[in-house]
Amino acid sequence: MNFDYIVAMLMISFGLYCLLIKRNLIKMVIGLEILTFGIHLFLISMGYREGGIAPIVTSVNPASVVATLGVDPLPQALVLTSIVIDVCVTAMLLSLAIHAYRHYKTLDMSELRRLKG
Amino acid sequence: MIEAAPILVIIIPLMGSFLTPLISILTKRYKKDRIRDLFVVSIVIVTLLLVLHMLPTVWSGNIIVYRLGNWTPPWGICLAIDGLNIMVALIVSGIAVLVSIYSLMYMKNDTGLEKYYTLLLLILASMMGVTLTGDFFNMFVFFEIMSTAAYALVAFRRNWDSIEASIKYMVMGSLGASLFLLGISFIYSLVGSLNIADIAQKISIIGTNPLPPILILILALLMTGLSIKIAMVPFHAWMPDAYQAAPSAVVVLLAAGTTTVGVYMMLRVVYILFGVAALGAMLIVLGSVTMVVGALMALVQRDLKRLLAYSGISQVGYILLGVGFGTALGIEGGLFHLLNNAIYKALLFMCAGAIFYRVGTCNLDELGGLSKNMPITAGLFTIGALAISGVPPFNGFASKWTIYIAGIQAGKAFFSLLAIIMSVLTLAYLLKAVNAIFLGQRPKRFENVKEAPLTMLFPMMLLAVLCIVLGVLPSLGINIVSPAYNALTNQHGYIQAVLGGI
Repeated sequence: MNFDYIVAMLMISFGLYCLLIKRNLIKMVIGLEILTFGIHLFLISMGYREGGIAPIVTSVNPASVVATLGVDPLPQALVLTSIVIDVCVTAMLLSLAIHAYRHYKTLDMSELRRLKG
Repeated sequence: MIEAAPILVIIIPLMGSFLTPLISILTKRYKKDRIRDLFVVSIVIVTLLLVLHMLPTVWSGNIIVYRLGNWTPPWGICLAIDGLNIMVALIVSGIAVLVSIYSLMYMKNDTGLEKYYTLLLLILASMMGVTLTGDFFNMFVFFEIMSTAAYALVAFRRNWDSIEASIKYMVMGSLGASLFLLGISFIYSLVGSLNIADIAQKISIIGTNPLPPILILILALLMTGLSIKIAMVPFHAWMPDAYQAAPSAVVVLLAAGTTTVGVYMMLRVVYILFGVAALGAMLIVLGSVTMVVGALMALVQRDLKRLLAYSGISQVGYILLGVGFGTALGIEGGLFHLLNNAIYKALLFMCAGAIFYRVGTCNLDELGGLSKNMPITAGLFTIGALAISGVPPFNGFASKWTIYIAGIQAGKAFFSLLAIIMSVLTLAYLLKAVNAIFLGQRPKRFENVKEAPLTMLFPMMLLAVLCIVLGVLPSLGINIVSPAYNALTNQHGYIQAVLGGI
């Protein structure tokens, strides 16, 4: 169980490092992805239960069984929503990276500094 | 009151946003692009009318709770509307109406306008969503829609500067949103709930005085995420770039809309979730740093929009300062300044847009002597500049004065003094801008510049009138703000209203 959280926190740290230190735009996008997936892993691990069952009340699994064994469905819904948002942001960022490459002929963020005042 | 008004406020612009491309296909075929524009304006006006429709109910002291799918609050998503978020919704939808009227003329020469209007309605819908929702994760989702629409709008003209600005904005903004999401997941792991009222209740059981370490971590994550959004000082780098490069109509929406929404989220987190006791000092320090750095950076700018962006950063500092004092007067002053800031910030950026529309540049070194060509714009800009620097009888004076007095009463006269000095600096750099744009030598090529068109002047005049009215009759402004103040300090009432005594 705790292993999940350690991995999630490592992913978040690596993602932050990658986003803040790397200069290449594509690498920054990858860093952002790792960061977001770390958060997703963290969220999912929160709802995880060893030997858990789907939280649906049926004749086989009455409410009392679900209450003790069912996994928490809410984090999964959250992660699903968050993944959709994340895909949207990534697509946007990559498309802008393409445009930036056309204008500047480079993906190095430190070269993108004509706006200074 | 219409039962479904809270959700309609979100759904109507959202549906309008997705209908806009379809309608624009039709209008393009029959060469009647104006119909599309009028459709967008009417959608925005309907949204404003719905907000106005909810106003009397909320101002008489009720909290409207709308349950989506009729799920009882701690489990389902609910929209909870109290005095605070109705004020923010009013500001945002009002500004959106003016922006959509302003864009009719300002964006006329751009291509791909159907995408512009789609994004405009999308950002309006998401701002309304962030403002009205009573669910924390729902807030994050709308917050991300708002940010994504804002990135796209900043990059709308797709020239090098807007793309560069948008990338910077996006990298910073996504980092902020990720931290915010991490904060939400920590909250969920701590209290097992996402409803704001429910979280607030459970946090008050844990106790916030002194804050336990986990709450400090959550608070730090949420505040960092939000301060990137409102460009508080260590995280302000994206804002001047974005505001310089984006079309002015978009900047008005960002400066007066999303910043207001960001400040609202911060207030919601600080006051309703945590209760202010432990956090006043933090807001005061962050607010004054933001105020000072913003004003000092604005002094040296050579681009009008960049200068206004830094001045906007500085004004957000005033709001946080006022709210951070934590006294009744301070909070009222801070909220009043939130309202005023939206008004004159929109006015100033609209003037900058009008100048750019007619002259084609916002560089202070190239401009000059335009008061003969654009007398009305010059007058309106001066009103905005005086209002933002807190000169009586304009609205900025009323709210800034309240903040100064609140600081002295709270025994923090040093910060009041700092605020007064920064106001003088604000006046200095804005008068410098007025001087550089409207007075002095007029370059030969500006001799045939005409006054801005009427559809652009009309929203600006309306805002200028508001500046004067709220300055001459500050009690009117205080009346608008006092329901928000009551809501902000009534954490218990909010919890009661949403959870219904569970």
